[in-house]
Amino acid sequence: MEPLSDRNLPAIACQNIRTEYQSTLQRPILNGIDVQINHGEFVALLGMNGAGKSTLLRSLVGLVPIQQGEIQICGTSVEQRHIGEVRKNIGFLFQGGALVDQLSCLDNVLCGCLGELTTWQSLWGFPKSDRRVAMQLLQKMGLQEQIYQKARQLSGGQRQRVAIARTLIQSPHILLADEPTTGLDLSGINQVMESLAEMHSRGLTVVVVLHDLSLATQYAQRAIILDAGKVWYDGDCQNIERQFVRLQSLSQFQSANAA
Amino acid sequence: MKFTDRIHLTISKITSNQYNVWLMRVLVVIGLGWAYIWSLHGLKVNPELIKTSLPYMTDFLSRLLPPDFSILDVAIKALIETIQMSLWGTTIGAILSIPLALLSARNLSPTWLRWLASLIQNVVRSVPSIILGLFFVAATGLGAPAGTLALGIYTIGYLAKFYQEAIESVDQRSLEALQVSRASWWQIAQYGVMPQVLPLCLGYTLYMFEYNIRAASVLGVVGAGGIGFELVSYIRGFEYNKATTMMLVLLVVVTAIDSLSSQLRNKFKVD
Repeated sequence: MEPLSDRNLPAIACQNIRTEYQSTLQRPILNGIDVQINHGEFVALLGMNGAGKSTLLRSLVGLVPIQQGEIQICGTSVEQRHIGEVRKNIGFLFQGGALVDQLSCLDNVLCGCLGELTTWQSLWGFPKSDRRVAMQLLQKMGLQEQIYQKARQLSGGQRQRVAIARTLIQSPHILLADEPTTGLDLSGINQVMESLAEMHSRGLTVVVVLHDLSLATQYAQRAIILDAGKVWYDGDCQNIERQFVRLQSLSQFQSANAA
Repeated sequence: MKFTDRIHLTISKITSNQYNVWLMRVLVVIGLGWAYIWSLHGLKVNPELIKTSLPYMTDFLSRLLPPDFSILDVAIKALIETIQMSLWGTTIGAILSIPLALLSARNLSPTWLRWLASLIQNVVRSVPSIILGLFFVAATGLGAPAGTLALGIYTIGYLAKFYQEAIESVDQRSLEALQVSRASWWQIAQYGVMPQVLPLCLGYTLYMFEYNIRAASVLGVVGAGGIGFELVSYIRGFEYNKATTMMLVLLVVVTAIDSLSSQLRNKFKVD
């Protein structure tokens, strides 16, 4: 990991961000979000389906354009001309891993260093030193047997661990994970969450979208609950279940009123 | 409650009813049955005709036997030409299909361009291969070059569609993952798109090559080269035994290439 230029700047700072208006929702998906996350935090991003959790995460790496407001990652604003610099600091875990099924695990991990290589350098394969690092990472993830296996042959938990190795090879400062445990069995969930906790203990900032409140309480220090594109709760993880019950009764009350 | 409200309520009850699903199914079956009867009516099939035509059929078939192997060398020569036509025709078609497929892929092109590209695809697909054969015979004269060009154009109609579907089946999120890793456009194509698209496209192209060998035998009928040319001239000259040899040779080759290409296609799928 390269040292950060300024650790006092927040890792992630969102100022009143809004996405494009959605006529089906009759509001933007993100509807005025103000959030600041400091270096070294472990944040669980919670909320009902459609609350805007994934969209918020994707907007942080410039995959979803924002219409209003500003996002800063380690002091750099997320705009098209700085996107390379922004993404350099961020590792992103997709739901299901988003691996290239036809490539081996090793090649999938190596894809994480494409940003460090020019098109010419990667045209005939990857440098030896990178291959060595990738193999070490796969070993650390307990996948030494699967190094040359095609990604499609892996189980859900193994896929997500390959995806983690792919983000680690970029040595990011921030890890964003979009429902990384969805569709995994118990041991898979534990392995993925333990890897995230391990990265957090080494100083990474971790923001993870979760559906499981008990996982959030177990691993995260701070919970942010979104509702209808706004931050509904931002605080510690101790009483989030109570917050959720409140949120549910409120939304039932609202839908009853609307009808 | 107003009367119109009551009607609306009844309609929504009917449409949400699960019996309605069954009603739909029964209607579909009735519709299909009607289509079959209507089509049979349109064909004007006369059962009497089938009975009287049976002797003619047996006569035709009996005259095909035994095969006359004295023209085996002619047959093999014509067959080799057919394979050569298919090889070049498929390759020309495959190369021309790539840009058309890129332009018609949902995940790559804007709607208006896709509309235009699909229109071109449909136009090409709806021209029968025989017409293409006649067109190129008129342009370049009798013989294999005309057939090769006809196959090339014919191939576009199918491969462009197959390639397009291969491109559309690429997992979008796997490409986003590379994007977030700051991969360049070419790197995304090389490490994200190609590995997903290439095995499918190679499989389709092989299938098309095999299909074109059969298509090339039809093109010979209009004088566009290949085995069909000899085949038809033997039948027209009532030399049915020689025609049989031609068909047997074609059968052997089509079977051999079919098993070879299906093995290759399986290999692509596994890798």
